[in-house]
Amino acid sequence: MILKQKLKYLQIALNTTPQNAKEIIQCLPLSERILIEVGTPLIKNYGINTVYQVKNWYLEKFYPQYYQEKIKKPSSTTKSIFDSFLNKTNNKEKLIQSQNQKIVKEPYIVADLKCADLAKREVLMAKDAGASAATCLGNAPIATIDKFIESCQKVDIDSMIDMMNIENPILILKLLKKLPDVVILHRGVDETQKNKEKHIPYYQIKQIKGFSNKILVGVAGGDEIEEIRHAILNDVDIVILWEDFYHPSPEITNITNSFLNEIR
Amino acid sequence: MLSPRLKYLQIALNRPLDESILMLQLIPQDERILIEVGTPLLKISGAESIRMFRNILGKNRYIVADIKCMDRGATEVDICATAGANAATCLALAPIETIDKFIKKCKEYNIDSMVDMLNVKFPFEILQKLRQKPNVVILHRGVDERYQKEIPEIPYDQITRIKSTYNNILISIAGGEDFRDVRRTFFNGADIAIVWEKVYKNPNQIKILTDEFLKQIR
Repeated sequence: MILKQKLKYLQIALNTTPQNAKEIIQCLPLSERILIEVGTPLIKNYGINTVYQVKNWYLEKFYPQYYQEKIKKPSSTTKSIFDSFLNKTNNKEKLIQSQNQKIVKEPYIVADLKCADLAKREVLMAKDAGASAATCLGNAPIATIDKFIESCQKVDIDSMIDMMNIENPILILKLLKKLPDVVILHRGVDETQKNKEKHIPYYQIKQIKGFSNKILVGVAGGDEIEEIRHAILNDVDIVILWEDFYHPSPEITNITNSFLNEIR
Repeated sequence: MLSPRLKYLQIALNRPLDESILMLQLIPQDERILIEVGTPLLKISGAESIRMFRNILGKNRYIVADIKCMDRGATEVDICATAGANAATCLALAPIETIDKFIKKCKEYNIDSMVDMLNVKFPFEILQKLRQKPNVVILHRGVDERYQKEIPEIPYDQITRIKSTYNNILISIAGGEDFRDVRRTFFNGADIAIVWEKVYKNPNQIKILTDEFLKQIR
């Protein structure tokens, strides 16, 4: 697993347009505890190439000196210009040694593919585009989830299972051959718009962690520091932020900074 | 919109965009042949793949965007419809609110809504919960499921069950690969047969399958 079990993470979901995503990246601080999610609408609208673009914007912002002007445009099998570096050095730590011996920290990007079938192909797609993690639906056929986790392990990216619209995630986990690295608990956007009362099922976190203490739990929803704090108190490892990140604003910088300062 | 009186063959293209475009040339022009932008293709190239297909095929051909919507029903229909698709798919595994929004938005755009019953044990129960019914229901087993020890059956038994209550809904069956499977699909009362794997492995199969379909199935 690339993520560390002792750390708390903030995952920022990019869901609108590549331009908007680029502007949001400009507002983010540099930290291994900030994960960037290329959301399903962005992938379905603009293709998996967006993962590659987001990664390069990030590197361009934080390491301009290492960023190469001439990027070879990736084909369907996208390759990051940094991949050749990555493969030679310690991939797990996600650190790459630049020519000037300074350490360049690669961003952790989640490709929210919401895989429902053809798992191996989707995992390879995510890996080729430079993602560090991919997502699979918890209510996909068990054969698909098994294949998904197995493929993720083979290519050394984190497997995330999205438990949206599942009453009892434990029942799914019990059926799997191998356990995923991360389980994501959340309500759908359409569900929450209709029924504001539908809360995040925090009690399920204890159940999941009781089942396996190696699984990290990600929870989506909430967009204020109080809500993030509340999630962390409930033993959440990854807090996923949506709503604020539709539009770049100073608010994004504030909320990420408060997270990094207040939550350890 | 699809007609309940016709039988259709839907060819799903899943190869990368440049190769899929070449494959388009092999598909004969006929109102009974539907062209699907497959999920992997959509995830690789995004809505651009639908736009490209539309530009190449012109106005009159029928394009299905297999977007497999799971959330944000209205947004995903927007993506497909504005890119030029005639139909979009939504997973029946999605929350009911999402499927309802999806179908409503499809109606607004005047495109066909297709609900994919992948990994759903009782499709009928999902249909009962919906405010408006979809134009098409897709019944199939997942591709990954076919490589396990116990391979699930294509749920032909659901066809008459759904049709006896909702006679306006067309049934689409995915999972068959050669012409024998296609014929069996229609024999069991389905309206649309989806093929992809054989075509994916060998694009020359497109001509063989479509010729036989147009000749033998009426």
